[in-house]
Amino acid sequence: MSDESRPISRRTFLGTAATAGTGVALSALVDTPARAKVSGAADPLPPAFYGGPSADVPKVGLRWAFSATVFFADRIMIGSPTPRGYTSVGGGEIWGPRLQGRVLPHSGADYFKTTFTTYYMFEASDGALIFIHNRGTMRRFQGSGPEPGHPLVPATNADPKAPAWTRFRATPVFTAPEGPHDWMNRTVFVAHCQRRDNPDHTVFTYYEVL
Amino acid sequence: MRDFVVPKTDTKILGEIKLEYAFQLRAKYDPPKESRSPKGIFRYQDITSGELRGERLNATVYPDSGGQYDTVRRDSTRDVDAHFILKADNGEYIYMEHVGYRRTDGYYRAIAYIEADTKGPYDWVNNTTFIVTAKESADQREVVFYYYVAN
Repeated sequence: MSDESRPISRRTFLGTAATAGTGVALSALVDTPARAKVSGAADPLPPAFYGGPSADVPKVGLRWAFSATVFFADRIMIGSPTPRGYTSVGGGEIWGPRLQGRVLPHSGADYFKTTFTTYYMFEASDGALIFIHNRGTMRRFQGSGPEPGHPLVPATNADPKAPAWTRFRATPVFTAPEGPHDWMNRTVFVAHCQRRDNPDHTVFTYYEVL
Repeated sequence: MRDFVVPKTDTKILGEIKLEYAFQLRAKYDPPKESRSPKGIFRYQDITSGELRGERLNATVYPDSGGQYDTVRRDSTRDVDAHFILKADNGEYIYMEHVGYRRTDGYYRAIAYIEADTKGPYDWVNNTTFIVTAKESADQREVVFYYYVAN
C-alpha cells in the first residue's frame, strides 16, 4: 500500500467529506437527526405536496418509492490534486413499495471529491440489474430538525454539546433495463440519508419527485 | 463476484424530507438546435437571459454563460443537462447545474446543484439539494423554473 492510498479512520473520512465548504464539527456527523420514524411496513404511503407563497408556483410532491440499507467496507483516501475518497459498497438490502431486492455485493463505491458521489448496482428481486449514480449533499444545522418558518442556522464548533442535526440528501440517477423498472429511467428522485454505526451503514429513503 | 452477508440491523427507518420553496428563475432561450447523435437527438438551447427572484436570492443569468445540453432519447424523454452562471444582486457569481427529465406527458423535474462563495451571503445554497419543477411557454423559448430546498 502506497502513501497515496492508505486506509483512514471513519472520523477523518467524515471530516473530509463533510467539511468542504461548510466548516462543520468532525464529531458531529456520527450522530443522526432525531426525526426519522420507525416503520416495519412496506405499504405505500400517501404522497405529500408542497407549494410556494402564491398559487402560481406549481406544487411538487414526494412519494416514498423504496429504501436501501447500504453497508460500507473500505475507506481510503487518495492524495490526488483534489483528494479523492473511496468508500467501497459491501452490499445491502432494498425494500419498500416500488422496488425490492439487494445491493449487488461489491458492485461499486463512493468515489467522492468534495461531496458524496457513488456508483454501484442494485439487483431487483426479479434479477434486473439497475445502475445507480448518486450525488449527495451534507450540511449541519443547529436544533433537532427543520421547522417550517424558521431559517436553518448552521451549527458551529463553539459548543460541542449543543443540539445539531446533519441534513444529508442524495439525488440518484438510475439506469434500469426496459421492462417493469423502466419508470426509474424517467423519474427524478431525492433521498433522505441516515448514517448508522455498528456496523457502518447508511439508510437511504428514496422519494419519487411528483 | 464475492458474496456479502447483510448484517442484521434493528429497525427499518423511514427518513422524512420536507420541501421548502426558495425562488424562481424566468429564463429566455434561443430556439433549440438539434442534431442526431448515437445516444439520441442532441438538443442544444442557449440561455440568452433570465431573472431569478426569491426571498433569499435575487440574480440574473450572466449573458452567454451556458445553456441546456439535453438529449432526446428513443422513448421521447429528454435528459436535461443545463449549466450556466448567475450574477447575484451583490455582484457575486453563482454556478447552476440542472439534471433531470422532461417527459412528453408534461413532467419536467430536475435537481439543481448550485455553488456560491462560501464567504458570502449565499453560502446557504452550497451543500443544499434543490428540487426543480418547470413551466414552459408553447414555443419553449421561455421556461420558468421553481426551486424547492429538500430539507
